[in-house]
Amino acid sequence: MPKRYTIQRRLPYLLLAPSVIVLLALILYPLAFALRNSFWFWNLQTSPMPLYHSGWDNYRMVFQVTPFAVALKNTLLLGFLGTFAQFWFGMGIALLLHTHLRGMGLMRAALIMPTTLAPVVAGFLFRYLLEPKGGILPWLLGGLGFPVPPQGFLGNANTALFSIGLVDTWQWTPFFAIVLYAGLLSINEEVKEAAQVDGASGWRMFWSITLPLLRPIAAFLVMIRFMQLFNSFDLVFVLTSGGPGTASRTLSFNLYREGLVNYNIGLTAAMTWLVVIIVSVIINLYLFFIYRKREW
Amino acid sequence: MQRRHKVLVYALMALIMIFFLGPIFWFILLAFRHPSEAYSLPPQLFFEPYLGNFGDTFVDPGNNAPQLLSSVIVSTGATLLSLPFALSAAYALSRFAMRGKEFIMNWYISLLIAPPIVFVIPYFILMSRIGWAGTYQAMIVTLQTLAIPFSVWLLKSFIDEVPLDLEEAAWVDGAGRFAAFFRIIIPLALPGIIVTSMFTFVFSWNNVIFPLALSKQSTTTLPVGTISFFASTGVYWGHIAATAVVAMLPPMIIFLLLGRYVVRGLTFGAVKG
Repeated sequence: MPKRYTIQRRLPYLLLAPSVIVLLALILYPLAFALRNSFWFWNLQTSPMPLYHSGWDNYRMVFQVTPFAVALKNTLLLGFLGTFAQFWFGMGIALLLHTHLRGMGLMRAALIMPTTLAPVVAGFLFRYLLEPKGGILPWLLGGLGFPVPPQGFLGNANTALFSIGLVDTWQWTPFFAIVLYAGLLSINEEVKEAAQVDGASGWRMFWSITLPLLRPIAAFLVMIRFMQLFNSFDLVFVLTSGGPGTASRTLSFNLYREGLVNYNIGLTAAMTWLVVIIVSVIINLYLFFIYRKREW
Repeated sequence: MQRRHKVLVYALMALIMIFFLGPIFWFILLAFRHPSEAYSLPPQLFFEPYLGNFGDTFVDPGNNAPQLLSSVIVSTGATLLSLPFALSAAYALSRFAMRGKEFIMNWYISLLIAPPIVFVIPYFILMSRIGWAGTYQAMIVTLQTLAIPFSVWLLKSFIDEVPLDLEEAAWVDGAGRFAAFFRIIIPLALPGIIVTSMFTFVFSWNNVIFPLALSKQSTTTLPVGTISFFASTGVYWGHIAATAVVAMLPPMIIFLLLGRYVVRGLTFGAVKG
């Protein structure tokens, strides 16, 4: 085989190699580090090195010492409700933009602003607006006769997680709106006209034609957004620090607390692996359903 | 469309715009309020603008001015470092038929949607072991876990659009693959490369979890800097707002410049927009 030919065949792999090697190094190190230390007792406050082999203790401690189950429940709740709300709210706005009335182009361009903010900045913004004494939102809602908890929405165990979800929804609904709008534009007008000739009503057309045609885009958006919500850290950190108590603690915040506040490296390592397994299951389940349905 | 419907659509859009832009507007006003007026109720829409919040944070004593510089260094560094890796990978994925291509693409995206906190804590210990604790390079290198996969996806979508014919014509003229890459792909995909860099810059700029764990006081970035005003001695809303407004400006301006590429960038090139 001529030398030039083999080089040509190997070229794509050679081109991929640098990025794959760098990324593998960057992710395998943390995963291996966590796997090893999850079986060791190691708290940075007492020792710069792992102290002793502790078997499965760290894995048991994750459930006994940290509110892991609560955090998992909060994380899933945030992920499902947030994604659901943002998708449908965004879809509604996309349909309004799609009326193509005068001024819609400008409004679409302005609408993206919340999505450009750092989540930390969005968090501060709403922390100010929601401040129990002096914040404009409790003042407005109170004036409208809405029951405002005395500790504020972020300080109340029943509303804290919900408020985080609302702020995330505020920030990311525009993302759904403009991407779904781009999807609406890509739908062939002739398909819709044919359905109209066949006497399909507006709602019927939306459910039977528009929505199925948007499916590939929608599936992609939902996956990305669900995972970003699942990973929620910045907003939780700024808005509630997981409180009050553990009412709004998420898995990411739980990891942060144990790892970078309590410096309990062994326990954090065990929790890391539990989270990695949960995330892999979710992503694979999702891919499984998407690909199955596509064939069907 | 009927007139009645038009009025309804505009009314809904007006409410939507107030809902999404009102909070930002109100927060920007906060940056220009005197600290004593941060909580004045009923809310004051008109007031004497006060520039002291910006003065305190960026001029004298100006503790946040170095953070602005840190943000620029880290975001620019992360963007520039990711480009050569991402360009070669994107070119390979765009131009060659190969086994496992779909798997590799999915692998990149799985890194993008993995929880970053999982990586950050081991990095925190690794960096102090190799003497990189609190350095810019610690943040720049670890941010590649996001910057490279994102750039590969987005750049691939742009290279896909450069006609293969042009590249083949260059080969016929005797140019090798590498010469053709630099003479055809780079210039024709340049707008895409710039767009990708701008997005990578914004994502690095807005990232908080990496600098929060890996920076020290002198290298920390501006969005992390805003957090420091949540001190035990009280909440300095004027200072938070002033730094946050400066931190939000570059991403906003970049998104306005990106215009029609916003949809494509936010979906990693998956939706053309």
